[in-house]
Amino acid sequence: MKLKLIYPKWEKLKGQTTFNLPPHGPVAFAAALPDYVEVSFTDENVEEINFDEPTDLVAISMMLSTQVKRGWAIAARYRQQGVKVLFGGISTMLHAEETLLYADSVFLGEAEGSMEQVLEDWRRGELKKVYNHMMRQPPIQSVGPARRDLYKQELYNHKGVQMVDLFHASRGCRYSCYPCAVSYLGGRIFRPRPMDRVVEELATIDNNRLFLVDNSLAQNKAWEMELFREMIPFRKKWISHTIEDDPEVLDLAAQAGAWYVYQAVYDTSDYIRRRVKRYHDYGIGVEGTVLLGLDNQTEDDIRRLIDFLLEIDLDLAEFTVMTPFPHTKGYDDLLRQGRIFDFDWDHYNAGQVVFHPRHFSSERLQELYDYAWATFYGEESQEARMFRLFCKVAMREMSEGTYRARNRALAGKSFGKDVQRSLKG
Amino acid sequence: MNLSENYYDEVFSFNGHWEIPSRCGLRIIRRSGRSYVMVTELYLDNPGTSVTAAGESLLMQICRAKGLDPHEVIYIECNPDMNSKLSFYDEAYFRVTFSRDHPPSYRQLSLEEVAELLGPTPLSPPAL
Repeated sequence: MKLKLIYPKWEKLKGQTTFNLPPHGPVAFAAALPDYVEVSFTDENVEEINFDEPTDLVAISMMLSTQVKRGWAIAARYRQQGVKVLFGGISTMLHAEETLLYADSVFLGEAEGSMEQVLEDWRRGELKKVYNHMMRQPPIQSVGPARRDLYKQELYNHKGVQMVDLFHASRGCRYSCYPCAVSYLGGRIFRPRPMDRVVEELATIDNNRLFLVDNSLAQNKAWEMELFREMIPFRKKWISHTIEDDPEVLDLAAQAGAWYVYQAVYDTSDYIRRRVKRYHDYGIGVEGTVLLGLDNQTEDDIRRLIDFLLEIDLDLAEFTVMTPFPHTKGYDDLLRQGRIFDFDWDHYNAGQVVFHPRHFSSERLQELYDYAWATFYGEESQEARMFRLFCKVAMREMSEGTYRARNRALAGKSFGKDVQRSLKG
Repeated sequence: MNLSENYYDEVFSFNGHWEIPSRCGLRIIRRSGRSYVMVTELYLDNPGTSVTAAGESLLMQICRAKGLDPHEVIYIECNPDMNSKLSFYDEAYFRVTFSRDHPPSYRQLSLEEVAELLGPTPLSPPAL
């Protein structure tokens, strides 16, 4: 049977450098499909959907709230053609009730071990409206290597430089942070994959740069250290979320190839200053993730925070505005207080204000968001700072003999499109 | 973060969204022929759906389990104080009204109003 797997596009944030990374959710899902399924994958962010391509079933995988409306529109078109549409993925779970209105079937939860039955139901014309696996997480050892063979690799390449590959060594999260829905989606129990399966998958990835998309690596110190020890021989360089703030762990992370980490910066404390410095001491870069518009932030606090980011020498900063995603405490709080004024999911991109902040107007928060980006990147642009981080990793790779020269055949392409060069006369 | 057990008399287990096993704190006070039901969010001790997301379904499950008439109930959601430095984990109370044709409406209650309805709260100032 033929299954067309689609990852809907979304509108990128204005004024920011756009990089399209190969999405992990769809290829992790594809790995859970039986062998007899012939999968064709389209990431609409980098290529058009060919609606005329013959297919028996369509599966739409969605990660972001900003994808759901596009996903529903794609489904409508296929359903008009008489093709059944199955939805899954993170934002399908966050927006399940609405998605049901546009789907033949909605799969909630993790797909491993369940797709044989779903496809059998489809074959018999008895596809269920909902497959509720929210509380039936598969054994973590059943999570196999993602189907990266489905990527059209040349579409994830910018001027000859291949984008990082996404990889995960665990699921679930033992934290339940205010703006985050991960505990709802992946469960509150940290579930590390068996190390032999992690190593097996690492060995299949033909890319010397990765993004470890685990929710947080700082969930179990012994596991984290074992992971880093196992990663050392691969000599890959990688990005991740937070790493345990412990000299022994940071040292191992650096040996394992830590390139830079995403670190939440929520105040101007010495704790944050020291934490960023410690990463740098071990040669690990830091991209600060900075959430603006929380109830405890005044306008002065935000301005001070941005000055602080420049003082502590962050390599990169990513600013977002507080966004009340469904199934977060932030959503519950703002909903009860009647402060959410916009329920258009296309606007839930973390760059557009959809609620009334406590200390200033929503318009003012939008201005402060723009001010944050403009101020932090005022002296050195985002692209220039990214290039600096890129040079650092390239130098390390050269010294270790793992550097891969850029693909000159793709030097004139950016994510599959011709690079527009401006020639000065 | 620490949640005081003074917020509730029992832990109530309920079916959350998509039948996820969920838990909340529950206190029921019967006074003058009315029932005051206070549900407390347990955060990390609640493995499933929040009390706010569960909404009217939670009220109905409590009423079924406790033999209450949902139309006679004054329903209050409590965000307990979690001794966190983050303001969004401060104590807060909301009176919730459900209706057939509209989303639930919420009215934040002052601590004085809560004390009047339910008696002293864990964070109420000591009586003089």
